[in-house]
Amino acid sequence: MTVWLAGAGVVAHRLSQLCGVDQLSPFDPRRDPFPELAAGDVVVLALPGRHRGLVEQIGRHGASVITLADDLDDTQQLFDLGTLFSSNDAALVVGAGMSPGLSGLLARHLSSRLHRVDEVHVAMHGAAGPACARVHHRSLSGRSPGYIDGEWKEFHGGSGRELCWFPEPVGAVDCYRAESPLPILLHRAFPEAQRISSRRSATRRDRLTARLPMLRPPHAEGGVGALRVEVRGASPDGARETYVMGIAELVGSVAAAVIAAMITELESFGLATGLVIPGATDLPTNRLLHHIQEHGIRIQEFTGQPSD
Amino acid sequence: MRFARRIVSALIMTIAAAGAIRVKGRGGTPPRHGGWRPVRIPPDDGGAE
Repeated sequence: MTVWLAGAGVVAHRLSQLCGVDQLSPFDPRRDPFPELAAGDVVVLALPGRHRGLVEQIGRHGASVITLADDLDDTQQLFDLGTLFSSNDAALVVGAGMSPGLSGLLARHLSSRLHRVDEVHVAMHGAAGPACARVHHRSLSGRSPGYIDGEWKEFHGGSGRELCWFPEPVGAVDCYRAESPLPILLHRAFPEAQRISSRRSATRRDRLTARLPMLRPPHAEGGVGALRVEVRGASPDGARETYVMGIAELVGSVAAAVIAAMITELESFGLATGLVIPGATDLPTNRLLHHIQEHGIRIQEFTGQPSD
Repeated sequence: MRFARRIVSALIMTIAAAGAIRVKGRGGTPPRHGGWRPVRIPPDDGGAE
């Protein structure tokens, strides 16, 4: 089984460090000829932009695909390819970054403590490399889907301010609705949830300049990012419960750890065939989270007890 | 002139009230640190949860 890596950014670099350079076969789909894929191979797409055409081409060769899925329209188009991948006994992992990706896995882990999940709310802070920072910039002026009381609603990116508390050293940050495929992916994983929301941190300047081109080139890599996943629902005795988990790590390192965990799982046990969404019930969530922790990501739970 | 005096008086009273609330207020500030603890998730499930 060959693991092909498309991408040369922060996430691809971290993945090479985690898996070992000799374990990955890099290729650039924009320049190199299409690689000779075999059934059972895995292709990691750690690239910015839309991937639908490339994913379909890979799927026809019988290989599995792991994609970050940070584009709303592109992700919705990837759903159509589930049948192609399942017919080839291959997996199409949609959303294998920090969010989407780890956010869905944490939500599923927390939901195992509840009898019924009513709400899933995710907030994210930070970006990995320059491409990720550009997505963040655009997302604040895009359309943000939200699932409220069983209905889809579309909000303006940059609206809906909420002060979200992340693990240290990030702490409390204002977060806003932003264009992201995460609510749609979470709705597929948690169809019973009546409220699903996704927010991203932003400053006043981010919101003010969201509709303009980026005024200065983004950093080579953002600082420490963070993720907060809040799941609300009913316990077996009917009581309302809220559980919160999060992380505070470099976003590129988290995305690489999630992808590495998916590769390990594909190599060792094989994932479900067809469309694979982190957080879905047919995934070995705890095992994937364990792999992610083994790659150095520290998962934390909000206890509500302030420490000195 | 009278109107300007009223505006200045209103501003002074507002600043004085805000200052008193800030100095004497008992609400405090919410905690800004802590509340999180690391968790270790065991690989206990071989399949779906």
